[in-house]
Amino acid sequence: MAGTGALTRILFEDFSASAVWLFYAIAWTAIAAFAFGVYVQVRKYRRGAAAQIGGSLSGRFQAMVGLVLSHRTVGRRDRPAGVAHWLIFYGFVLLFLGTSTITLDHDITGPLFGVHFWRGDFYLWFKLVLNVAGVALVFGLLYMMYRRGWLRLPKLDYARPDRSAADPDFDRSGYRREDWAFLWTLLLIAVTGYVLSALRLVWLADRPTVWDYRWWSPVAAALAGLMRSCGLTAGAAGLGRDILWWFHGMLALLFIALIPVTKVKHMFTAAGSLMLRDPEAAQRLPRVPAEQQHAGARFITDFNWKQLLSLDACTKCGRCHEACPARAVGAPLSPRDVILSLREFANRTLSSAQIPAEAELDVHGKGPGQVAMETLWACRTCMACVEVCPVAIEHVPIIVQLRRKLVEEGQMDPQLRKTLQTIHKTGNSFGESKRKRAAWTKPLPFAVKDARKEPVDVLWFVGDYASFDPRNQKVSAQFASMLHDAGIDFGILYEGESNAGNDVRRVGEEGLYEVLAESNIKTMSAARFNSIVTTDPHSYNTIRNEYPEFGGKYVIQHYTTLLLKLLRENRLEPARRLSYRVTFHDPCHLGRFNHGYEAPRDILRLLGCELIEMGRSRANSFCCGAGGGRIWIADPVGADKPAHNRMREAAQIPGLEVYVVSCPKDLTMFEDALKATGNEGRFVVKELIELVGEALEQETIGPDATVRTPIAAPPASPPSRPSNELSQSA
Amino acid sequence: MKILVAIKQVATLDEDFEIRADGKDVERDFLVLDMNEWDDFSLEEAMRIKEASADEVEVTAVCIGAEQVDDVLRRGLAKGADRALRVWDPAIEGSDPIAIARILAAVVRREAPDMLFTGVQSSDHAFAATGIATAALLAWPHAAVVTRLDYTCGANSAFLQRELEGGLLHEMQIDCPAVVTIQLGINTPRYASLRAIKQAAAKPIELLSLEALGLSAAHVGPSGSLSQVRRMYVPEKSRAKMVEGSVTEQAAALAAIIRERTGGAA
Repeated sequence: MAGTGALTRILFEDFSASAVWLFYAIAWTAIAAFAFGVYVQVRKYRRGAAAQIGGSLSGRFQAMVGLVLSHRTVGRRDRPAGVAHWLIFYGFVLLFLGTSTITLDHDITGPLFGVHFWRGDFYLWFKLVLNVAGVALVFGLLYMMYRRGWLRLPKLDYARPDRSAADPDFDRSGYRREDWAFLWTLLLIAVTGYVLSALRLVWLADRPTVWDYRWWSPVAAALAGLMRSCGLTAGAAGLGRDILWWFHGMLALLFIALIPVTKVKHMFTAAGSLMLRDPEAAQRLPRVPAEQQHAGARFITDFNWKQLLSLDACTKCGRCHEACPARAVGAPLSPRDVILSLREFANRTLSSAQIPAEAELDVHGKGPGQVAMETLWACRTCMACVEVCPVAIEHVPIIVQLRRKLVEEGQMDPQLRKTLQTIHKTGNSFGESKRKRAAWTKPLPFAVKDARKEPVDVLWFVGDYASFDPRNQKVSAQFASMLHDAGIDFGILYEGESNAGNDVRRVGEEGLYEVLAESNIKTMSAARFNSIVTTDPHSYNTIRNEYPEFGGKYVIQHYTTLLLKLLRENRLEPARRLSYRVTFHDPCHLGRFNHGYEAPRDILRLLGCELIEMGRSRANSFCCGAGGGRIWIADPVGADKPAHNRMREAAQIPGLEVYVVSCPKDLTMFEDALKATGNEGRFVVKELIELVGEALEQETIGPDATVRTPIAAPPASPPSRPSNELSQSA
Repeated sequence: MKILVAIKQVATLDEDFEIRADGKDVERDFLVLDMNEWDDFSLEEAMRIKEASADEVEVTAVCIGAEQVDDVLRRGLAKGADRALRVWDPAIEGSDPIAIARILAAVVRREAPDMLFTGVQSSDHAFAATGIATAALLAWPHAAVVTRLDYTCGANSAFLQRELEGGLLHEMQIDCPAVVTIQLGINTPRYASLRAIKQAAAKPIELLSLEALGLSAAHVGPSGSLSQVRRMYVPEKSRAKMVEGSVTEQAAALAAIIRERTGGAA
């Protein structure tokens, strides 16, 4: 490309000096408005509480850049939206870099150092790249418009499940208008950019340095050709260029000025939120400092600045809304709406120079921007929302912090209150005597060691459900037999074990959680063992992730990894192959919380089962509805339940024989749901331990040997008629 | 202004239990101790009056017992009671409700509250006597089994509703100060979070001796009581038995039982 050295675009060509000055004045005003907007936002965040941000800043920055550039989180469970956003993102970034390059050349290196680089070959390639970037941007935007206008995705419906039409903040039309304004503004800027470029080509068509190189901006060149074929003259094109130049420029400057106060700010807030993300946000809930007067969040300023920033990162993509099991069954909760409510609340109260009086900062209630008690109690803390959020909003800690305040004031379901008192009194949620905790071991043909009295290799933390619930007791007995048969030196804590506290903490009863954690840690520190195994994913999560903060650092595994190891090492040898068609339900606390996806599946395959995955599995597993203390709160009568929703999903698998679970609460929830959804007799719900037991042809412990009954047996014959009927007929 | 709330620490039985060697009570090791449920409601009632009052109202919780009753007083403090009093002297051991009422009356004379609330009864011994006996000793008006109370602290009278047999309700006006025994369900007691209970651990519990109340060992314990426990025991299980099976089987089983009872004569 010899002789291209002088090629460039003359900026402000034919503009009067005053017009150029006017443009600069407006541009500086827009930048000033942007800067002020940023200041107001930052001031809002700084009104939050202090935040503990661990890790190195550069490491966090790199991780964020990686996520943003790869778009890994944006495309999850919505590939087309991810691709469209990728196009918009890269199109926009390139165009922004392009404009910045021109500014750098024209306003900085040119006037200061006399260096101009925006010319010649660089200029030509620049044009080509930006033309392509503009195409990407336009296609991305058009798809987003199509998605909003025609696809009518439920997750983009902003109707709130926690409000009724009469409520002042029910109407979310403002958000819808903002979405459309955002898309149209960007589209107009991009399209006018092309048209402007084409008009310039027509206007300067007689200048070879312009016209001969037009195909370096192919879209503009094609448009220019079209304009000329329609008879557009150079003069008319010049006039059009003048008008459109101002329109395009003003629109772009308006866009910049409005970034901090519109959804456009997610460019910064989402990046910030991703940079500050805590990968264990839901697994390890924040402690309440001993000196803090009230537990939990009562005022908007009780949230830390990181949380306030993350509220602004939400783009209403609706993925949490879609994933939430409470929302799916019509409960008055959408994680999205909790975040949006709090954001609206923060914007209203924390954006002006003065913070209003405390009474106006109370985020609890039913007013605009407030979060209702019913909403908070609907949450199962299953972490589906946190897991899927593309911008790392951490809903669960926010909800639990809000619940802590409700607990402190006793604003909870009477049944839950009773359960908490029971747990405090007896150390278990069943209200049973501590002495009965190990009663399930009595029918075993061998003695289970008391780990408090003699050293063991493996300490089994049994948990409440596996200890006290009659159905789960059978599973516990089977697991004990397996450990025994495999020659594992194991023991339990007998009455020294208390409820591990995982769900108590997620309810928001932090004080009781501390009591339980400290009590268990005290008991365990007096026992001698090498590692812990637990049959309860809830206990597993809290012991693994939360006990360390209380001084309890242990090596712990869920039973699935231990059983897999024993099977692989032939310490447990299946006597027969199970060729059932099964599906596996990932317990929230094993899967999503602790990534224990593979071991249970490996076991099922090893047993010979045919594993058919449900649509929602692994990270997207659908909560049984028992988490977050909801197992202690009755679901509203007549309402759909998450477990029922899940059973209907499983029932769609043709020829399904066993719905496999690996969590005591799941066993309880889904056996109920199986009956309630009319699937009894079609397939059965089994603990993975029971299937292993069946493959091992293990003798079952206890009076009724449910485990050995043939799977998918026809329903039992109708019960024999009561004897009094016989006596009447006699 | 002040409302005094009497609280009792009650015992519930653990799974298996044993009777004490003297046969008059359950061995202490087998008891699970907790706040008497009725007292939870009377404390809540006092707290609601306090919170609704324009003037400063002090809610004082009082419990008679050895150190272990501090637990229930702490729970009271956690729920918002302003002060906690504990009365104890080893001589109090073995007091009947009349002797306890004598102590409570002495506390009332010392504290001079505008109202004394007690529960209708305690869930372990169920005498339902302490509150009323205290009223008698003080010569104060009293109302029992109160299910609704409209009272402004410091007022000369209170309006209240009582639960009678057969679903009847009784509305009364009572002169104050008075003793009111509160029935379950009058309100919804608040939840004392563990955090609040822990924070209450830092609050003082005032210890009162018999001397401080102007009483002596002779006024309390068995010597100050009008009744004594003679024996506590588990009655033999009833011998009721369900006869099941077909009519023929039932008849045969019945005949066998009759034969057994009548010594085989039938």
